[in-house]
Amino acid sequence: MIRRRATIAAIVAVGALTVAACGSDDNSASDTTTAATTADTTAATTADTTAATTAETTAATDAPAPEGWAVNTDDCVDPDAANAPIEGTLKIGSAMPLTGGVAAAAFAPVKGGFESYIKYANEQGLVPGVTLELTIEDDQYNAELTPGAIAKQIDGGSQVFSGIIGSPNNAAVRATLNDECIPQLNALTGSPAWGEVADYPWTTGILIPYTVESKIYAAQIAELFPEGATVSLFYVNNEFGQVYADAFKEIAGDYNLTIVGEQTIEATDSNPPASQVTTIASEKADVVMAVPLGAGCISFLSEMASAKAQNADWTPATFITNTCASSLILGAAGPAADGLYTSGNLKDIGDPAVQAVPVVKEYIDYMTAEGFGEIVTTAVAGWHTGEITVAIIKQAAESPEGLTRASIINAARNFTYTPSLARDGVGAKSIGEEDPFLFEALTVLQYNATSATFTDVGKLIADFES
Amino acid sequence: MKSLVTIRDGGAAHWAIRIAAALLVVAALFLVPTKGGNGLITSSTEALTLMCAAMALNLLLGYTGQISIGHSAFFGIGAYTTGICVSRWGWSPWITFPLAFVAAFVVGVIVSFPASRIKGVYLALVTLALALVFPNVLRWPKLAWLTGGGPGLPNKDSQVQTTGFDIGRKPGQMRHFEIFGWDPFGDLRSLDAKTAFYYWIAAFIAVVVYLVCRGVVKSRAGRAMVAVRDNETAAAVMGVNVVATKAFVFGISAGLCALPGSVTAIRIGSVSPDIASLTIIGSLTFLIVMVIGGAGSLWGPIVGACLYVFISDKTGTWANDDAIPALLRPFFAWSKTPPGGGIFAVLLIALMFVAPRGIVGAWKQYSSRLVRVVPRPVGMTAPEALVRESGADTTDTTGATGATNINNT
Amino acid sequence: MDLFLQRVVDGLAQGSVYALIALGLVIIYRGTGHLNFAQGEMALFATYCVYQLGEWGLSIYISVWIGMAIGFAVGAATERLLVRPVAKKSPFAVFIVTIGLFQFLNWLDGAIWGDQLLPNSGVGSEQSQFPSLFPDKDTDFITIFGANIRIQWIGVFALVLLVTGLLFLLFNKTRFGLAMRAVASSPDSSQLVGIRTNRVLMMSWGLAAAIGALGGIVFAGLNNSVSLGLMFTVFIYGSAAATLGGFDSPGGAVLAGLTIGVIENLVAGYAQEWVGQSLKLGVAFLVILIVLMVKPSGLFGTQKVERV
Repeated sequence: MIRRRATIAAIVAVGALTVAACGSDDNSASDTTTAATTADTTAATTADTTAATTAETTAATDAPAPEGWAVNTDDCVDPDAANAPIEGTLKIGSAMPLTGGVAAAAFAPVKGGFESYIKYANEQGLVPGVTLELTIEDDQYNAELTPGAIAKQIDGGSQVFSGIIGSPNNAAVRATLNDECIPQLNALTGSPAWGEVADYPWTTGILIPYTVESKIYAAQIAELFPEGATVSLFYVNNEFGQVYADAFKEIAGDYNLTIVGEQTIEATDSNPPASQVTTIASEKADVVMAVPLGAGCISFLSEMASAKAQNADWTPATFITNTCASSLILGAAGPAADGLYTSGNLKDIGDPAVQAVPVVKEYIDYMTAEGFGEIVTTAVAGWHTGEITVAIIKQAAESPEGLTRASIINAARNFTYTPSLARDGVGAKSIGEEDPFLFEALTVLQYNATSATFTDVGKLIADFES
Repeated sequence: MKSLVTIRDGGAAHWAIRIAAALLVVAALFLVPTKGGNGLITSSTEALTLMCAAMALNLLLGYTGQISIGHSAFFGIGAYTTGICVSRWGWSPWITFPLAFVAAFVVGVIVSFPASRIKGVYLALVTLALALVFPNVLRWPKLAWLTGGGPGLPNKDSQVQTTGFDIGRKPGQMRHFEIFGWDPFGDLRSLDAKTAFYYWIAAFIAVVVYLVCRGVVKSRAGRAMVAVRDNETAAAVMGVNVVATKAFVFGISAGLCALPGSVTAIRIGSVSPDIASLTIIGSLTFLIVMVIGGAGSLWGPIVGACLYVFISDKTGTWANDDAIPALLRPFFAWSKTPPGGGIFAVLLIALMFVAPRGIVGAWKQYSSRLVRVVPRPVGMTAPEALVRESGADTTDTTGATGATNINNT
Repeated sequence: MDLFLQRVVDGLAQGSVYALIALGLVIIYRGTGHLNFAQGEMALFATYCVYQLGEWGLSIYISVWIGMAIGFAVGAATERLLVRPVAKKSPFAVFIVTIGLFQFLNWLDGAIWGDQLLPNSGVGSEQSQFPSLFPDKDTDFITIFGANIRIQWIGVFALVLLVTGLLFLLFNKTRFGLAMRAVASSPDSSQLVGIRTNRVLMMSWGLAAAIGALGGIVFAGLNNSVSLGLMFTVFIYGSAAATLGGFDSPGGAVLAGLTIGVIENLVAGYAQEWVGQSLKLGVAFLVILIVLMVKPSGLFGTQKVERV
């Protein structure tokens, strides 16, 4: 209802989208090509197997029981619409904060990347016989406005939604989209709520759940401190921070980590967290695990840098959520960000070595031709979302049911794919209720402020793949 | 001031105008959900909730002259009363409307006691602080067992996974809304039924809020309120119990403002301290809507809310220069953000110069040159006539003369 | 002990910014009896201008003067063009105008500079961080009794004292100050004795906005960045300070600003369990409420007789 600037809190998912991750050195051209080919063959194989299996089962029983998880359309308001073949044009809808506060500027590149990929997919004819049409409405990161934005698009004939940004925003339209049986793909938020397959079969997320990320840090800390470590927690006092902190606290014991203190900051408080960092410094923990937000990332890091300078005997390892790990934010933090640990699962487009990789080069060239040359590093998340969305639609179109809303969500829940911009070894995978999250693997990275690049610390951690 | 036509208050012509206006409003109210698409219906629902909040604020600010920038807190009390009762305890959303009213009424009365000692801009300061503190109280870890803390409700401890109507197919979930066997909406899980359903809830609440406001304003209490606004000391001398009047208005205003909060919780199915209406942004929006529409007139907030939602809808995409109509492009293309905020700010300031009683106030003033309603002789409805006169003719432009006292020192 | 001292020092640093905002509020209130709700946003506009000047390569030591001059111009123009014409109508109209200005300036900043955090390499900022007036490297601190005091904080604190001192001299030792005091105590009589009341009021608003601008610039320096929400909470703390100190006492406002900064830090630090970060704003709220209930003129303000 209120149409004004969203708060700073709006930046929540931003960093997570613009996850900067550096490519490793063994990242050769052939690898990537293989990856791309694998993707194609995987999709093809899946389709073939499905077709074969379906044929067999059809022969055996009356009712076709496709392999893997399948949505039950009997629950739909209009089951026929959910199973009706989609021909010619597929309208994809989305709601993002295009205006309003810090969020808008940060998300604008996501929109650019998303739209560019859809255009690219149409030009390449990735989904044969179907033209994709993407509309993105503005909800200003205010959940009060999301239902209206979605209603407008459904009026306009949108058959599938993808890449809606923000947890409350996705939550505000989840019931409607599930009842109407309209796929709500790739929610751009890391809340673990997007894995409730039984209750909300039509909703899927694309980001790594915050809970998984914070557990990965716990695992990495345990590796750095095999004898056990003391940890000071610092987090922003809203949904994002609390979900993170709760997950970390829950698992800390398993890794022999002792939490010695918890400090919070209000998302609306523009004061630098001097007093919180004073307390943290007095706790003298081995590790500081920080979950700040947007501008808070920068002020937290500079306060930490001062505190470390003032307490020469205290050299904690600083872990910071990857929502802060964008080139924008860490660049602004300057030397204060040096040496911090974070994580990522997408390629670091800013790295010249990565830019030479053919798929990345193709991406950069296409974006430059589209006039988005300036935002290639920040638009990665949008392109990535677009690619996953199109891959799901493609898989659905190739399924025996053909392209329907039901086949789209079935494809999204039985999905294996290697995105071109993901780090090596990172693949999208979902298996019905068993594994509702597409991505659950991260590499812990260390930031080097001088070269503004990340170095891998250890391997890709995929222990928390469910 | 001379008028072209003079009609008598309560006369046939006056009634004709009144009935025509009422018919127009009722027609609009029914046309939106029957002819409009889901987008328009949802926008209208937003406008209806906004006008409720602005009408509630109007009682306090427009009629009693007490400045409040804290109404987002009362809105939030409504949203959270509904949110907590429905999701934690599984109560029916319908019951939560009166509960929200009562809860906010009590808080409003409590706030009124310090407020009756604090005047004018100081009161604005206190209520501003209230608006800023309120979301932080919701996030307060010590209250998280009730409010759900930062993430809000529903959460994993909730009995019902929504803060509104638990619409769905499972046993125990709601699927139809029937009034004595009549099912006006059909399967509520469908978007068309759902948007219409929420629209009519918002419309029902808006009518209730309007009628209560109208009742209060035209009552003895309403006359006491205006007396307090125009001159607190004189009102006291004439026998108005100033403290009681303020407590009453604060309570009613807070209680009414909680109702649209409940509607919002029901409509979006979740509550969290980040919802814009619960923050200072909400308070400012209510204030802007009310002042632009017309402080101290019953129709002001209604006009203001419709205008606000209309302009926001139209200009929302204007950060993208291609979306701006060609004619207006030179004026707005330079802006990196949509011009809504700027337009309302300029409108607000400009109105203070030309029409401090807002659009409705200006309309009354200028329409009286064409049609003049002559009040009935004193005795029957004298106070009402006074209200009308002050709306139409006076050059006294104050909405809140209570503040004058500070300035007189 | 050193932790306690450290918290006090942290609090004084934060309180210094509140004091600068409170000073601006007090100067306007003394002259006209208005509470300027746009005080924080006027400061924010000037702060954005300083960012822009930095982008053009100007040193902070020059741009801070230009920023204050811009603040002065905005304040003076506001009084002359917006406040004075409606002040005749009612204080309510003035209140609405300052709210409108609050909204307008915040929108204007966003319209010109976009709504992201600045400086920002993503939009091509040349600067890596918002320029600070004082040395702010991590190693720029001194240790006294175990508390580490940053040079930057000492600088800001000294700046507040300097501004307060200058204001004291201005009010008490110059003809203009005399005129300001005269206008504050009795506008009508001062006009009769030949003081150009209007000019004095315009200068007061300008002066207040210039001091506010200095506060914004300093605060952005402490934060290393400027964004649209920078001044919201600071304004509340600033008005709490002005209320506590007494709305017509500059010295009181400064003292109150520092006090609130320290109290807020101690409470958030030592009562973490019950108050913590989420309710420390409630402390400011309580201060405003209690002072207004118990002693509406504040600790150092002059008791006023309310006329009807």
